[in-house]
Amino acid sequence: MSALLAVEDLRVRFRTMSPLKAIATGTQNPFVDAVCGVSFEIAKGETLGLIGESGSGKSTIARAIMGLRPPTSGTIRFGGEVVNGLGAAERKLTLRRMAMTFQDPVGSLSPRLTVRSLLMEPFRIHGITDRDPAAEAERLLNMVGLPVDFGRRYPHQLSGGQARRVGVARALALAPDLIIADEPTAGLDVSVQGEVLNLLARLQRELGIAILIITHNLNVVRHMTDRMAIMYLGRFVEVGLTERIFEQPRHPYTQALLSANPVPDPDAVLDRVEISGEVPSLLRRPQGCEFHTRCRYAQDVCRRVAPLPVIGADEARHNFSCHFPLSASTAGVAHAS
Amino acid sequence: MKPAHFAQHWPPGEPLLEIRGLDLDFGTPRGRVRALRKVDIDVPAGQVVGIVGESGSGKSTLAYATMGLLAENAEVVGGAIFFEGRDLLAMAPGERRRLLGSRMAMIFQDPMTALNPVRSIEKQMVDIQHHEGGSRRAKRQRAIDMLERVGIPDAGSRIGGYAHQFSGGMRQRICIAMALLVKPALLVADEPTTALDATLEVQILHLLKELQSEIGCSILFVSHHLGVVAELCDRVAVMYAGEVVEQGTVRDIFNRPGHPYTRALLECDPGRIATSTRLLPTIPGEVPSLLGLPGGCIFRQRCLHAVARCADETPGARVIGTSHSARCHLLDDKEQVMPA
Repeated sequence: MSALLAVEDLRVRFRTMSPLKAIATGTQNPFVDAVCGVSFEIAKGETLGLIGESGSGKSTIARAIMGLRPPTSGTIRFGGEVVNGLGAAERKLTLRRMAMTFQDPVGSLSPRLTVRSLLMEPFRIHGITDRDPAAEAERLLNMVGLPVDFGRRYPHQLSGGQARRVGVARALALAPDLIIADEPTAGLDVSVQGEVLNLLARLQRELGIAILIITHNLNVVRHMTDRMAIMYLGRFVEVGLTERIFEQPRHPYTQALLSANPVPDPDAVLDRVEISGEVPSLLRRPQGCEFHTRCRYAQDVCRRVAPLPVIGADEARHNFSCHFPLSASTAGVAHAS
Repeated sequence: MKPAHFAQHWPPGEPLLEIRGLDLDFGTPRGRVRALRKVDIDVPAGQVVGIVGESGSGKSTLAYATMGLLAENAEVVGGAIFFEGRDLLAMAPGERRRLLGSRMAMIFQDPMTALNPVRSIEKQMVDIQHHEGGSRRAKRQRAIDMLERVGIPDAGSRIGGYAHQFSGGMRQRICIAMALLVKPALLVADEPTTALDATLEVQILHLLKELQSEIGCSILFVSHHLGVVAELCDRVAVMYAGEVVEQGTVRDIFNRPGHPYTRALLECDPGRIATSTRLLPTIPGEVPSLLGLPGGCIFRQRCLHAVARCADETPGARVIGTSHSARCHLLDDKEQVMPA
């Protein structure tokens, strides 16, 4: 396999109470599975979008890949090598080749460091001495389209969009092969969102970086990604080419999510598939298909048997987990004209 | 439940809320921030008026000014806010306060901080009816009915719970139930769905729309989300850096935008771009500082069509259609309205 990143059967489990409390309260299962059995690959230079509502496990996957949260089981291969369970020193070497930008653009930058020191930090952390960090900081500012004198500013003197650019510059510092962008547009106005997304797209084109975009913003996924994966309660319910999924979602949750995107056109004819209720708690996962509690097509079998993924024959291996996948006639979603 | 046709003395279609030439400053150590300038907005009875703008445009300040909930350093320098024909700014503080929770109510962006964490939902919902008569039991029953109406299952037993025992979507439903329990004539909603997930957002929007037509109240709906505004609102006011740059019916704004900012904003929204693209339009430049404001059009530094006059003269509102107006000099010369 030539995949840059290959994640196989990833599980991340969190403890919900101390072992003592679990015994005292007689709790059988003091754990919650935030990610349960997720597999995917990202090729070199490809963009994959992870989409889902809060609590679906998107950010946990990102943190597991970055080694910020050890996986409970499963393997993460990067450039063909297994990277989970590595020691700190070996880990550091892989971390040169992948980088992450965080949700909170200002909060993820140390308030006491200038932009210049923030940009020099990756070189110091990784002990890279053969380059002049100050010159590198300038180069990075140029790359993300910020004037060089921004190097003297502190994070609180930056607007949200500018802070995002600094975050991207930091991620680029060591010329990674993969960037994980966690909610790259969170907290940004529409007029600035494009700036950051265009920057990511340009860097990808020029440097051939693979990007994993984590977001709940469907418009970002539609414009920015080659493939997308839709998450629900820690599992992928559908994965495939972005264009194909927007054209014809096969899983009812995908359909509902796509049609929940309010269209900025007062005359849009909304053929909306609204779903009722809320995402169930991870502590009380439904039996059978986990979406059946909110699914309008649910039948008896959905309440009893968890569906296995159906893997499509197309080159993107479009796959979905549903007993009664949608067909062309039922999957229509309104779009802006 | 009885068909909820509540005491709605104000004739439908007449402006229930009229904001006239509102000027508002914030005093800061660095000087006066001129946060709102010459704001004129009408909210007709029974309609939903959307205030749309980016961060720092003054849309929330306007909502808070209407409710009289501004920070201490805010100062209204000029203008008036007429509600049911009376100027709120000229009222005695006590009198104005009595309107809150009876004729006017508000829902906030974050339902967790809007609810009191140490009082049960029941207590809060009974308290909010303090303007009304009736026994505590009757008030409790009304609260339960309203909770059921907004889709809280098993409301009778859950009403004793506390805010932290409900999910985000449920909390916002509770806030909506509380606000509408008092049958207000005006509901001010400040980004009520921003903190919610997409599938919940649509549920809450539908709920608001349903209740609005059932109760017959007006809504002043503040949002930065063009899609949400297009879906919910009858009229829209577009704000930029403290000014209403354009207002009109929802179709005027989305199909025939007259102001260059409105046009640029609509072009930037990735939801309106039908074919997938990796090069999204943006509005270059930044919102100007509102300290020591220079004269001229507020949008001119970022405007692609700016001419010399834009720097010299602050544009007033030009009427460009029935109840459609925009503040732009270019509208004087020729027909600048973009075709749909």
